[in-house]
Amino acid sequence: MDKGLVTLIGMSISYVASFVGLGLAWWSWKKRR
Amino acid sequence: MGHFTTLDYVWAGAFLLLMVGGAFFFYRLARRSESDFFLAGRGLPWWLPAASVFSTHTATDTPMWITGVIYANGLRGLWYTFFSAWTAVGAFVSARIFRRSLAYTQAEWQTQRFGGLGAEMLRGWMAGWQVFMNMFILGWVGIAMGKVGALAFGWPVWVGLVVPTCITAVYTLAAGYWGVVMGDFLQGIVAVFAIVLVSLVGVAAAGGPAEVTGRIMELGEGWRLSAFAFTGLFDGDFPVVWWLTMLVIAVLGGFGMGTSLDWYVEAQRIQSAKSVRDAAYGLWAGGAVTLIRNGFWAAGILAFFSMLPNIADQADYELGWFRLGFELLPAGLVGVFFGAILAIHLSTISSHLNLGALYFTRDLYQRYIKPEAGERELVKVGRWTTLVLLIGSFFYGLMMQEITKWLIFALWLMMAGIWLPNILQVLWWRFNAWGYLAGWMANLGVSWLVVWVLPAFGVYEPLPDHLNFWLLMALGAAVFLPVTLLTKPEKMDRLVRYYAMTRPLGWWGPVHAEAVRRGLIEDHARTADAGPRPLIRRAWTPEQAEAWTREDWIAIVLSPVIFALLMIGVTKLLLLQAGGVLMVIAAVVLSGVVYWVIDPKLRAVSAEYEAQQEAYVKQLEERLRWQDDGEAAHG
Repeated sequence: MDKGLVTLIGMSISYVASFVGLGLAWWSWKKRR
Repeated sequence: MGHFTTLDYVWAGAFLLLMVGGAFFFYRLARRSESDFFLAGRGLPWWLPAASVFSTHTATDTPMWITGVIYANGLRGLWYTFFSAWTAVGAFVSARIFRRSLAYTQAEWQTQRFGGLGAEMLRGWMAGWQVFMNMFILGWVGIAMGKVGALAFGWPVWVGLVVPTCITAVYTLAAGYWGVVMGDFLQGIVAVFAIVLVSLVGVAAAGGPAEVTGRIMELGEGWRLSAFAFTGLFDGDFPVVWWLTMLVIAVLGGFGMGTSLDWYVEAQRIQSAKSVRDAAYGLWAGGAVTLIRNGFWAAGILAFFSMLPNIADQADYELGWFRLGFELLPAGLVGVFFGAILAIHLSTISSHLNLGALYFTRDLYQRYIKPEAGERELVKVGRWTTLVLLIGSFFYGLMMQEITKWLIFALWLMMAGIWLPNILQVLWWRFNAWGYLAGWMANLGVSWLVVWVLPAFGVYEPLPDHLNFWLLMALGAAVFLPVTLLTKPEKMDRLVRYYAMTRPLGWWGPVHAEAVRRGLIEDHARTADAGPRPLIRRAWTPEQAEAWTREDWIAIVLSPVIFALLMIGVTKLLLLQAGGVLMVIAAVVLSGVVYWVIDPKLRAVSAEYEAQQEAYVKQLEERLRWQDDGEAAHG
């Protein structure tokens, strides 16, 4: 597989994980305000 | 490659038994509380975090990677490994500030330094990324062990990936961070023994130090014996600018938090130390032993090169250290060597299993899902998360086995864009959560464009590493600086509270003045001596010790020099090259000077801080449960 494509996939997974965490924080903040 | 006798199997088996069995001694301690399961109750003397810093810095792939850079670059290749020297400065700056924050994780620290929705989003962002990163690193390190097992014993790759990791999981699940850190201590001893032994055996097998250097000279490769064999100012494989870039990344990185991926692991070790002083020495000693280790490795690999100088395939010469051990050690010691490889592997796996579980439990589950969770429940969540990370890492390891090396490089490179924000958030009061978050998010697109997309479309030729780094840093700054300056500063209540607790270094003038005005801290000017100040102060009042003074700067400046002298001096000493003995002696003397200068101050800081720690821990737990938003400054 092309290195660039694999890097994109790998990085995307890490950013998806980050966005999930960010979304959870936002949801929790709204719930408590 | 392997030629195991019964005695070798006995050694390897005994080692595994010790690792797993030892953990059960700490089972009861680990289950007491979240603080025990993830920080060993914040009660460790400096040498335990130090051993853990060293052990965690040494993974199964580390000998391959270091062998690769030394075989290809000679002694100057050691500078690639000098990134660990962030611990030299970090020990006296970021470790001191972070330990005082009492944050379990870097993500938690973000919500102490910053406030409001931006800080929470940053915490969630970082926690999600760290859970992923730890699973990813577990997969990467696991597959490296799979390859070693395949090469040494002809095992299928999955055996080396799954079996040692499962053994590690047993004691990590049972004993949490207590098991991790105690295991790391034992594993560190075994690993150091094997690394020293194999290097000495390698040099001896090549005919001794004089024969190693003589053969390298005969080959016309004398430049390999110099740590400063540059190929030009800007050109060639190893230009001066690349060397300087690596130095800047490492040394200035010690002023920040998260400038190296290793920070996230070491932050847990810093926080598990029993005092600010123990945290500083733990990080310093762990980093120093790591660089001494590199010096030993380099001598062994140069000996390997002198015997086999014509290996062209990187995948072959990267196994040089493993070949020295498996092929040269006598029966009986091969088992010890394999035990050391397992030690290296187990220590890294256990650390990342526990760390990934920590980020999920503390920063996602407890903060955002169930703040009212009790201690037992949190330990249970920690154990379940450890198990999920373990299974996830197997899938990741098998899926990514061909390209993880490249991806690791990509991840390191992509840290370039957030290198400066990681420093600014510690040193500059005006930097805020929105700037940091914007910088990190922009980094994905920017690094992708600069490193891959634009070169692929022929806009420019692929850039050398040092240009990639500086360009990504500048482009990142073009995003996070305007965002920071166009959004409001953090609230002064928040900043003052953080400042009084951690007393950070850097540009904190307005916050310092406000903290003095509110009576939270004393003004430096009023606490200064009436008479002339001694050149080196060795008697400190608590308030004097809180200020950053020339004693701190002596430690900050001398420490990276000591680390460089140790790293290069050890190799030169083992190869009996000119200057080796002097470099090591100079490093030892300078270490004594640093200790003499900084220790009284660290003792004073620790004593003062520990008197207030209980109240700070209470504040931290209240804030975690949303009972206190941290905006009101209490004395």
